[in-house]
Amino acid sequence: MDTCFNIKDLDLYYGDKQALKKISMDIYKNKVTAFIGPSGCGKSTFLRCLNRMNDLIEGCRIDGTIMNEGHDIYSKNQDIVDLRTRVGMVFQKPNPFPMSIYDNIAYGPRCQGLKDKKKLDEIVITSLKQVALYDEVASRLHESAMGLSGGQQQRLCIARCIAMSPDVILMDEPTSALDPISTSKIEDLIMELKKDYTIIIVTHNMQQAARISDYTAFFLLGEVIEMTDTDTMFSNPKDKRTENYITGRFG
Amino acid sequence: MKRKYKDILLKDMTYIASFIGTFILFLIVMYLVIKGAGLIKIHLLTSNYNAETENAAVIEDYVYHDMTDHDGNYSKKWGIAFEDVTTSHKEEVISVSYIDENSPFNHLYSTVAGKNNQSVSIEEGSIVKNMYYLDDSGNKTFLSETMMKDAANLASILDEKATGIISINYQSMGGGIKGSLIVTMYLIVISLLISLPIGVSAAIYLHEYAKKSRLNSLIRQGIDTLTGVPSIIYGLMGVTVLFPITKLVGAKSTSVLLGALTMAVILLPTIISSTTEALIVVPQGLRDASLSLGATKSQTIFKVVLPSAINGILTGVLLSIGRVIGESAALVYTTSTVINDAPTILSQGTSLSLMIWSIMSSEQPNYELASAISLIILMVVFMINGVVKLVSKRFVKSFE
Amino acid sequence: MIADKKYIKRSKSFDRFFEYFFMAMAMLSASFIVIIVLFVFTKGISPFMKNYEYGQVNLFEFLTGNVYRQDMQIYGVGFIIINTLISSFLSLLISFPISVLTALFITKIAPKQLSGIMQSVIELLASVPSIVYGVFGSGVITVFVMKLSNLFGVTTFGGSSLLSVVLLLSIMIFPTLTSMSITAIKAVDIDLEKASLALGATKMQTNFNIVLKAAKSGIFAGAILGLGRAFGEATAVAMVAGNKLFGPTFNPFDITRTLTSTMLAGLKETTGLDYDIRFSIGLVLIVVIFTSNALLNYAKKKVGNMS
Repeated sequence: MDTCFNIKDLDLYYGDKQALKKISMDIYKNKVTAFIGPSGCGKSTFLRCLNRMNDLIEGCRIDGTIMNEGHDIYSKNQDIVDLRTRVGMVFQKPNPFPMSIYDNIAYGPRCQGLKDKKKLDEIVITSLKQVALYDEVASRLHESAMGLSGGQQQRLCIARCIAMSPDVILMDEPTSALDPISTSKIEDLIMELKKDYTIIIVTHNMQQAARISDYTAFFLLGEVIEMTDTDTMFSNPKDKRTENYITGRFG
Repeated sequence: MKRKYKDILLKDMTYIASFIGTFILFLIVMYLVIKGAGLIKIHLLTSNYNAETENAAVIEDYVYHDMTDHDGNYSKKWGIAFEDVTTSHKEEVISVSYIDENSPFNHLYSTVAGKNNQSVSIEEGSIVKNMYYLDDSGNKTFLSETMMKDAANLASILDEKATGIISINYQSMGGGIKGSLIVTMYLIVISLLISLPIGVSAAIYLHEYAKKSRLNSLIRQGIDTLTGVPSIIYGLMGVTVLFPITKLVGAKSTSVLLGALTMAVILLPTIISSTTEALIVVPQGLRDASLSLGATKSQTIFKVVLPSAINGILTGVLLSIGRVIGESAALVYTTSTVINDAPTILSQGTSLSLMIWSIMSSEQPNYELASAISLIILMVVFMINGVVKLVSKRFVKSFE
Repeated sequence: MIADKKYIKRSKSFDRFFEYFFMAMAMLSASFIVIIVLFVFTKGISPFMKNYEYGQVNLFEFLTGNVYRQDMQIYGVGFIIINTLISSFLSLLISFPISVLTALFITKIAPKQLSGIMQSVIELLASVPSIVYGVFGSGVITVFVMKLSNLFGVTTFGGSSLLSVVLLLSIMIFPTLTSMSITAIKAVDIDLEKASLALGATKMQTNFNIVLKAAKSGIFAGAILGLGRAFGEATAVAMVAGNKLFGPTFNPFDITRTLTSTMLAGLKETTGLDYDIRFSIGLVLIVVIFTSNALLNYAKKKVGNMS
């Protein structure tokens, strides 16, 4: 099976504090990989390493390698902008730009210099269709995206990400701010999207991980305790700490 | 029991203290209204400060017309109406309140030496000094200021005795603030054109780029210190540091441009701090979202961050306008205190505030005019204050 | 991706350009403080240099002299410094208690609507430009002082006097002091108040003994800011000061002369000693503001430490 990321011995420090310790793992193409673990365990931090969003944080230092397409994304000649067009991201809180629905989705392509109105229209419509939002918003594409409901906003953010046709979509607890119905819509969407994209999702919700992911990694105190395919993880965890976590003894 | 009385006493003290502040604001506004409100008319805004005397004769090919009727002390024969007014210099005079299009007074040529018989017309508001007319026996007759007596009398003399108008000596109204208004506009526009891009850029750097370093904390400190520098010191800076720059574009003395450049520096801390406050309110999530979509940092700033912070920047602009309108000390040194009715960017001139300073430091201060200008300034500043409050309230709400 | 390679390349160089541009603008903004101090300093000390073209002025006599007569080329600013300190501190003395009480009223005592109105009053007072205060000062305050002096059987020079300056300045620094005090009081932890109330203290006792004490350092910072404004206030003060030729002035009904009013007096020349000496006075003003700020900040730290 093709791998998308090969991570080896990744350490991450905020100032003097070590937030990630010797993380190594492979992430497979066109699969859903879930990161679970209690809050503050480093799963979101690790996710943000994969498209170098940690570069924004002051005093953040990273050792180790993350290979993507045979290339270390932390090497000097890696272009960050180029990386981020290939590795998209969806955030915990829906964060549409305060502009129209259309402009939100056209934002990424426009930043890459796409001006052709026809192509933009096409991208906007297909992206919205892919997240099953098109029928809901077709009549108000040029109205502000801030008027959408929370669930719609999050699907819009996923559509905005898809509009860039990335290889990978990183999702940082994408449903934690949503109601159960919106959550299930997004979960369905993720199952749908994995045909075309590699998806890595951080989640707080173990049932969610069990429902939608193919592989699961359990994080604790900045370390990966265990990583296997999801079925094994939830039926037969090797490590005692994993077992304690998934049976709900702490969290 | 004693404790209760002490409590009431302390409480009353805070009421009294608050009353003092309110009373003073009331006093200021009342004083300005009583002294100055009477002067606030359109012609105050549109006329010159310095009165100009004109001596003019009726052009020879003037053809007599029938005039339409008009209210007031109107001479129907000559199509001109007069009224009695008190000037801002406290003189009782007769001024022109209306003039018909076909009136001979509208078809004059200047007889003042050096004006080459250029054609002129009396404007409404001009003060009539004296005139020559033809009486019924065809004699040239002089009509002095004392002979005119008042507006009604002048109108009836013209209607009853005059058979022709020869010449008139009149004075433009004066006491107006047109020139100062123009200078104030120049100052606002030029200083903002310079200060806004610099200030917004500096705020962007400090909030979006600057990492913790010696240099950056020095920059921050420098800008903070600017806030505490009294404006009179900015004036000294302008006249030494910025004067050579204005000289390059042709200024020979202190000038409106020099004042504007000095104001641009004074405005920097205001613009930087209100822009920074706006940037702080823009949610980090928007920046992350933009960057994660492969936008560069500057694309993120121009397309997402700045549009979201636009209200805060607008607040800075409004506060800056208020500051320019109110500034006096720094401009005394840089734009001069000469009231100029036809200012250019490179000439001297006074802004509204500076005009007050100029009026008040003359031998006999004209309190009425100073109060009228103060009242205008105050109205603008208070309005700005209200709008700023509104804008910032809505701005904070938009991200909640 | 449908990326336009050329566009991306261009936007990347744009990106780099703007990073440097923003930085340059920040540095430019900050550099003005250096420029101001540097130029006022060099120009301000030039009259005391040996080869000064209009005849050297003795620095010691300049700083300690108590006569200032441009017409006789006597420049002594010692008394002017003292006058400036006197008028500014006196105005602080008047304004400080009123401001703190008003701030307390707005934050803790007034009913909600009244508090909003008072807040607006303070904001409006803060937005009144100094020249307008000047008109008010010479139209109302001087008249009031004149009437007051008549009560005492003293004559004034049309009301221009030390007292007028002090009253005007107290009004002008009032909004600054009040709004700083409001910020300081609002920052006080609400639990502290609750604790005091729970111990049986009355609302007023809590306000005065607990809240004000806790807000002390912020209120003090406001006082420093207000004092700085009083030192630097120019046009309004010049309109009611009267510009005395010698001093210092201690009689409240006598005319006075401050650093700023001197800098604005008879501004006609653009060269020569009379012109340059303004920079020297400006330099003295900067030094006075910086030293008093430093001293007061030191005092603030001391006050902050003991409680």
